[in-house]
Amino acid sequence: MANDREVLREIWDGRIPVCFQLDSSEVNGLQAPDPYYLMVPRLSYFPLVTDKVRKHFQRFIHPDMKESEMWIDFNGQPLKWHYPIGVLCDLHIPEISLPWCVTVHFDKFPESELLHCPSREAVESYFMSCIKEADVLKHRSQVVSNLQKKDHNQLWLGLQNDKFDQFWAVNRKLMEVNSEETFKYIPFRLYQGDKPFSQRLVKPINEEGQKKTLFHFLQEIYAEDACKVKVTTHGVEPPPDTPLQWMSEHLSYPDNFLHLCVAF
Amino acid sequence: MSDSPGTPVETPENVDTAEAPAESIPPEPSSPASVADRPNETNKHKIDILLKATGNAPIMKQKKWTVEKDKKIGSIIEFIKKYLKLEPSESLFLYVNQAFAPAPDQIVRNLYDCYGSDGKLVLHYCKSQAWG
Repeated sequence: MANDREVLREIWDGRIPVCFQLDSSEVNGLQAPDPYYLMVPRLSYFPLVTDKVRKHFQRFIHPDMKESEMWIDFNGQPLKWHYPIGVLCDLHIPEISLPWCVTVHFDKFPESELLHCPSREAVESYFMSCIKEADVLKHRSQVVSNLQKKDHNQLWLGLQNDKFDQFWAVNRKLMEVNSEETFKYIPFRLYQGDKPFSQRLVKPINEEGQKKTLFHFLQEIYAEDACKVKVTTHGVEPPPDTPLQWMSEHLSYPDNFLHLCVAF
Repeated sequence: MSDSPGTPVETPENVDTAEAPAESIPPEPSSPASVADRPNETNKHKIDILLKATGNAPIMKQKKWTVEKDKKIGSIIEFIKKYLKLEPSESLFLYVNQAFAPAPDQIVRNLYDCYGSDGKLVLHYCKSQAWG
């Protein structure tokens, strides 16, 4: 069980200062808009926190573009709305100085690189699908299939409205462990540069029944290169001897996956 | 990203597909020529998938296909829609383990590595949301 409540709270409260600027080529008129600053939760998703950004810039773009989908890039790389903001930040950490300056667009949607996000419901269904997938790995779907619609809503509203207690009242059920005190498999996604993330089946314990550490996990994935790997999540580098099961319970994003950015 | 929405390749072992040769698949402009590949061959770049209809979705004559490991789920959805001659406006949902819908940019390899069994990945498709 996720018992280290202080850690859960610290993770939940992670914020990033972001400076949004409208792409200068999309400014319609003589005066460019001021940048828009926001402290955004690392655990959230851009479409959940950028309503005000959209409103701020809408007055400055061509009237024909007002209804088009807003998207964001950093250093020319479109940012995927369905990755948690903290993951997007960790992926670009070497290039980022704070506040994190990103560029807002309403034109030339990069179809081949981004999924469309027609509404908040699209984020919700993606988020819930991740939770279901994670539960397939942790509990063979058995916990999530016993949740009721109101539990789903509570998870979603907890995330959307930044309500830690509301979210964790349900999420603690998803973080329950079996009699061996572990999940069946650890839900994780590994990100390396701009390649698609990778997922594998990894158990939290080894064949002798001992709990694996982050280093054991890296050995399983990268073999002899494990000691060269630098892992970042939530803006920090967890020590290699951190137990994998503990990481899954405490350092997973609200979608119940560990999102680990690796660099060599 | 150069994600060519390629055509899954027919598997010759699949006897009941004799009437549905690869040529019958509407060719896509950027797709490579359809080359028949033996499933389970030591071809490390390909994965066998099994497409099963559920709910109100029409069944596909040929269910077993071989796809590139880096193929995205979105291009498989597009392929099924073309194969079933659905209107572009019609939705198609794809599920893994009858439990969750992977994102369109998820690659097949990740799903195969985690949820594949007996050397293949089973995907259920549906015209309306089935498992949430």
